[in-house]
Amino acid sequence: MSGFRHGEGRLGDATLNFTFDGKPMLARAGDTVASALLANGVEVVGRSFKYHRPRGVTSSGPEETGALVTIGAGGKADPNARATMEPITKGLEVFSQNCFPSPKFDLMSVNGLAGAILPGSLFSAGFYYKTFMWPAALWYKFYEPSIRAAAGMGVPPKVADPDIYDRVQSFCDVAVVGGGSAGLSAALSAAQSGLRVVLFDEHNDLGGQLLNEANSEANADLEQWRADAVAALKAASNVKVLTRTVCWGRFDGNMLAAHESVDGKVRQNYHKVQAKKIIIAAGAIERPLVFGNNDKPNVMLASGARRMLNHYGTATGKTLAVFTNNDSAYQTAFDYADAGIKVSAVVDSRQYPSQALVDGCKSRGITLFTQCVVTEAKGWQAVRSIEIADLAANGQSVSNRRRVSCDVLAHSGGWTPQVQMAAHGGKPPLYDKKIAAFVVGDQAPDTYSVGAAEGENGLLAGVAQALHAAKAACGELGKEAGPIIQPPQDRDGATNIVPLWSVPAKGKQLVDIQHDVTAADVVQSHQEGFISVEHLKRYTTLGMANDQGRTSNVNALAIMAQCRGISIAEAGTTRFRAPLAPVSMGGFGGREIGKHFKPVRRTPMQEWHEKAGAVFVQAGMYLRPQYYPKAGETIDDAYERETEHVRKKVGICDVTSLGKIEIVGPDAAEFLDRVYINMFSTLKVGKARYGVMLREDGIVYDDGTTSRFAEDRFFMTTTTAKAGPVMAYLERCLEIDWPDLKVRVSSVSERWGAMAVAGPDARATLTAAFPSVDFSNEAFPFMGVVHAEHNGAKMVILRISFSGEMAYEVYAESDHATDIWQTIIDAGQVHDIVPYGLETLGALRIEKGHVTGAELDGRVTLGDVHMDGMASKKKWFVGKNLKDREGLVHPDRPQLVGLKSVDPRTPISTGSILVTDANASAGADKQGWVSSMTYSPELGNFIALGFLRGGKDRIGERIYAAYPVKGRTVEVEVVSNHFVDPTNERVKG
Amino acid sequence: MIRINCPYCGEREHSEFTYGEDATRTTPDNDAPMEEWNKFVYERDNPAGEHIEYWHHAFGCRAWLKVQRNTFTHDISWVGLPHENPEAES
Repeated sequence: MSGFRHGEGRLGDATLNFTFDGKPMLARAGDTVASALLANGVEVVGRSFKYHRPRGVTSSGPEETGALVTIGAGGKADPNARATMEPITKGLEVFSQNCFPSPKFDLMSVNGLAGAILPGSLFSAGFYYKTFMWPAALWYKFYEPSIRAAAGMGVPPKVADPDIYDRVQSFCDVAVVGGGSAGLSAALSAAQSGLRVVLFDEHNDLGGQLLNEANSEANADLEQWRADAVAALKAASNVKVLTRTVCWGRFDGNMLAAHESVDGKVRQNYHKVQAKKIIIAAGAIERPLVFGNNDKPNVMLASGARRMLNHYGTATGKTLAVFTNNDSAYQTAFDYADAGIKVSAVVDSRQYPSQALVDGCKSRGITLFTQCVVTEAKGWQAVRSIEIADLAANGQSVSNRRRVSCDVLAHSGGWTPQVQMAAHGGKPPLYDKKIAAFVVGDQAPDTYSVGAAEGENGLLAGVAQALHAAKAACGELGKEAGPIIQPPQDRDGATNIVPLWSVPAKGKQLVDIQHDVTAADVVQSHQEGFISVEHLKRYTTLGMANDQGRTSNVNALAIMAQCRGISIAEAGTTRFRAPLAPVSMGGFGGREIGKHFKPVRRTPMQEWHEKAGAVFVQAGMYLRPQYYPKAGETIDDAYERETEHVRKKVGICDVTSLGKIEIVGPDAAEFLDRVYINMFSTLKVGKARYGVMLREDGIVYDDGTTSRFAEDRFFMTTTTAKAGPVMAYLERCLEIDWPDLKVRVSSVSERWGAMAVAGPDARATLTAAFPSVDFSNEAFPFMGVVHAEHNGAKMVILRISFSGEMAYEVYAESDHATDIWQTIIDAGQVHDIVPYGLETLGALRIEKGHVTGAELDGRVTLGDVHMDGMASKKKWFVGKNLKDREGLVHPDRPQLVGLKSVDPRTPISTGSILVTDANASAGADKQGWVSSMTYSPELGNFIALGFLRGGKDRIGERIYAAYPVKGRTVEVEVVSNHFVDPTNERVKG
Repeated sequence: MIRINCPYCGEREHSEFTYGEDATRTTPDNDAPMEEWNKFVYERDNPAGEHIEYWHHAFGCRAWLKVQRNTFTHDISWVGLPHENPEAES
């Protein structure tokens, strides 16, 4: 152990219990998991992604690459959480990741050694691509499972997450991303304009890098400024302050996306904020230096080590050493020394650090090594010493290696402005030599980058930029931003960096610590030709996962630029894409999960079906009865019984889900003539007609029955699946194509409950149910339409059939539909009327050879389903121009046929492929497919509908329906698709 | 999130709308040759920049609208009824 509690920081007094891998530990209110683990002396927090190297806390912010843990257990488990960003709550359970049996002793760490022994390295750059090139058989048996077991991070929970996630949609005038000194200033100033302001910050405490400062007497006025600013913003009614909220993406129309973590019944809120102006004050994060074993536990970013001490009251070690190429890290050494902690060395790769820094070291008794580098961090599991060496003037070699003891090494490779958010909306970032980092190039519209995010690390200089941006943003919205009290102290932002991209050293030099990508991998990527930054990223997996290139990108680009002999500016960055930080899927789902994922539509007769014991099935969005089992019946028993009963007597089926559209106006008939292939202007009032629509390309679009209620009024039904699209299509035709037609369409799907009454006793049943209606064949022939009333409920009755039996469709006003249904059921008792479900509906229509969505799948032509004769030659209609293209009328096209299994009790699987050879292999000539199947009680045979090449002329042929997935091949006979009532005697009788 | 200013409803989020089709095409005459129809149905320009297209306010007033959208930036510079044109506005 090396870390320990030291001082107060800004923590609260309350003590909280938590556990790490089941071991009880103590934390204080305000601790993060990372600070609490360090305070408890934990050094090894987990193991790395590929090499299983021990990893510890590397920072105190979102740039954490080492301490990735699983927070919570069971369904609440949140894997790969950054320990630095997770507040400790009472009783929190924290688990290490990717190690067995424990983080300190891990069996898989041999992977790291294997990399050194095996030629080409097991897990080096591009290993996935190369592995795929080994014998394919070995991949499944050996490599894939063993790599999966070895590489990886946290394990996703196997049970459902019990927490609630919400979505919040809001609007604001000025959004400020980041609550450091610049962000606070911009928000305070903008708030005084009276405009609506939203401030996002991913930390629990606002203040940004002000929180790195010692909470000391010397800084009391600065700390007070911070506290006042936060209090003023929280008190302002026009400001929304969102802490623990990571703003992770900027989208079209200035929409910001953010995930807010909250404690309570709701775990996270997903905010979508529509902003008029965006001020990005996202700050900068410190880059690591690249040297040997720079991923060893207790190697930390200097700013992270500083915040641990100053904010979390946690010293990261008993003896600190600092390694830097710029000025900022000295403050970490000074603060540790001033807090009474031994600082054994400051190792600066520059030759001449400023006199103030030299004096600062001297006065504190810190040994300063200039023109010197750390070549390697030493220690079995965590740092116990460092090897340092003099750096040659050309930076290419080192000499005079020696040891310095320490148990924590704080390092700084410079600062990287957080440009991701700005880059989402505009041009790529540009390289700024002065700070050796990429800064925002051209600003996206309505966007201002300020402070460290813009490369300005000075405190007052950053605040000045923020105030300037607030003034401009408010001004463009016609308001005036107000003045603010300036911070009482300044901090110089100049880092005087001299870039040091990598150190000539032994041991693994990690560039992307989180993804185990080394400097050697970048060099190998270059050697193997993957030299563009985008290729480098994919080939090495650099900058992927949590890190998103925050700590790794610039170093890797610089090493690649060196290899290529070009400048970093020329090498450029990879494209920044949202999300810039890891976000949970729960937030996106919100409450629309499980049953709420999509709406369920129920028909008016739902309760009746439930009482009758129906088994339901989801059909489109509708919940429909699938079958009504009697005691002991299987699904097959039930639908065979229902089907047989309809053919012998009478049954009733809920068909409410059909789309229903009223078409009204003087040009309604002309309109239908254009959208249907057949004539509707000749349809007489009180009659119905079956109609087919084509798409513009000549393929069948939808079918249904349309009735004429009056000269200028039609009632169209569509298939269940196409109810919505057909409605939108008709609206489009009228508004865009033919605005001159005087027609209105309106969806009346919800107005009517619909039921089909089918079977030889249908007429007798309905006559008994509705004595006022004359159901005789003369008064109410096939395709007739009758309006009626029953107990004050309006009804429309159509004599149409989808079953091959005499049948009627009764449309009753939804509120009364169950009464009408019950009336028919009561009247049908003498004929033993049965309700039937979707299975029987399907069986009946397949027996009759009617097509539905399974056949009209967007590929078939009129000729394919034997309807080409229906197309009118006397008029134009949609699809007419292209329906007769050569390929669409070819005689060898697959055409609708009936199929009968030669052995009557052998089922034919839907989706089977039709072949002529019983032993057909994968390469066989595929002549068609099976689209629907059922057992036909009428024929005592399994039957199917399908499409067979040139099928029209192949009736009587014996072929095979092959279903290779299940190794099933069934001999079938090709027959007409009209198995039952081919001459329509029953339906017209 | 793209926002569309529906002439009937005001500015709404694009999730209320569904994209319809290219609005720069002219439907051929009913008796135009098959080749012309074939071109109309299958051939589309794919411009990087300003484009005029139809959108349906499916979860709003259900009007079909003509929208001028920049395919590169997604900026929507004009919204009108199907038989209006952006030029007429300026």
